[in-house]
Amino acid sequence: MLTIVAALFALAIGAGFIGALSGLGGGVFIVPSLVLFAHVPMQVAVGASLISVVATSAGASVAFVRDGWTNLRVAMILECATVTGALTGAYLAGIVSSHVLELLFALMMLQSAYFSLRSEDETITAKSDPLCERLQLGGTVLDESGQNVNYGVVHLPAGAALMVFAGVLSGLLGVGAGAVKVTAMDYFMKLPLKVSSATSNFMIGVTAGAGALVFLSRGDVAATVAAPVALGITAGALTGSRLLPHLPARALRRLFVVLLLLIAIEMGWRALSGF
Amino acid sequence: MQAQAVGEQAQAVEDRILRTWTPLLLRTILSAAVAVLIVGLIYTAIKEPAFYVNRYHEVRAGTAKHSPENVIQLVERSSQGDAHSILTLGLFILTLVPLGRVAFTLLLFIHERDVIYIVATAYVLTGLILGVFLGRIG
Repeated sequence: MLTIVAALFALAIGAGFIGALSGLGGGVFIVPSLVLFAHVPMQVAVGASLISVVATSAGASVAFVRDGWTNLRVAMILECATVTGALTGAYLAGIVSSHVLELLFALMMLQSAYFSLRSEDETITAKSDPLCERLQLGGTVLDESGQNVNYGVVHLPAGAALMVFAGVLSGLLGVGAGAVKVTAMDYFMKLPLKVSSATSNFMIGVTAGAGALVFLSRGDVAATVAAPVALGITAGALTGSRLLPHLPARALRRLFVVLLLLIAIEMGWRALSGF
Repeated sequence: MQAQAVGEQAQAVEDRILRTWTPLLLRTILSAAVAVLIVGLIYTAIKEPAFYVNRYHEVRAGTAKHSPENVIQLVERSSQGDAHSILTLGLFILTLVPLGRVAFTLLLFIHERDVIYIVATAYVLTGLILGVFLGRIG
């Protein structure tokens, strides 16, 4: 038993560590690790990953809320969309075949790779559109010189639509879908990047929690796999986030993109050979 | 002057709920879940290592029989020393993290009497609770 627990724990520590360093979260790495190396069925990997995402997001989001980066109103409005999507995705995960899930996962990894390589130039808007103004979604953020700058929020319907998709991805594939969430807020809704990242982190735990509750109550979470994985990912993510400021983040990110592409190809190939 | 005092009071309440109570609650739940999972794994290694190994191989082969878990039954079985139930209970406690966070955010908006956000947060909380029932019919 100890060998199995140690192997799962080691895989999870690695996934949590790489997930924290790459900024993509442990879910993107633990699902393929469990499928490709531990040879567990895709649905079991997704269930274990959802539980782990809940655990890892708790610590990170507390720090962001404390430091004032999280836009709570944007988070709560968009969580209506992500939770709806996550419930739908988690329900579908019980019906869809493993091969379809693996193929979708490979495609999601390609999107994450693209997200990691895109430029981080941001254009924030000073004034919210009428709907966002009515919902008081704007806020203030500290700029590089330490001055408070007001920012507005626009295109809520487009952002919410993308959030439903992020929720479906989370419930269906067991990931936090942070890459989609940040894209929705930063690219479509014009929130500052740091606010988008912090708000996405705050939302990830709730989105994954909705999916995890469906999996758990359906009896689809294998405790023998999920318990060591949840502990390992939490330990790996904690270590990764502590080491991150002392490592060459940009060079590491490029390395992880290569890793992501290799895993995506392997997952895609595995899925297509199974049809 | 009075408006400024009201604003400062509201900010103080928001700080208390968001930056004191919520982190405390989340850390407490997370620590409890981690403790139960560690105890569960150690207990399994001592009492039922063969069950764990067999179960793991059944899961890998896709032949493990899963049954929907009821929290009350889980607590009862855990107190009777059922290793698998202790592990599952630890995972259930973890899922209380998002529930607790949303419940505290709801408290904040109720205090601010912000109807739109009370409705939005109540919707999210209902969605999380609905997840339990959706899993049972799925």
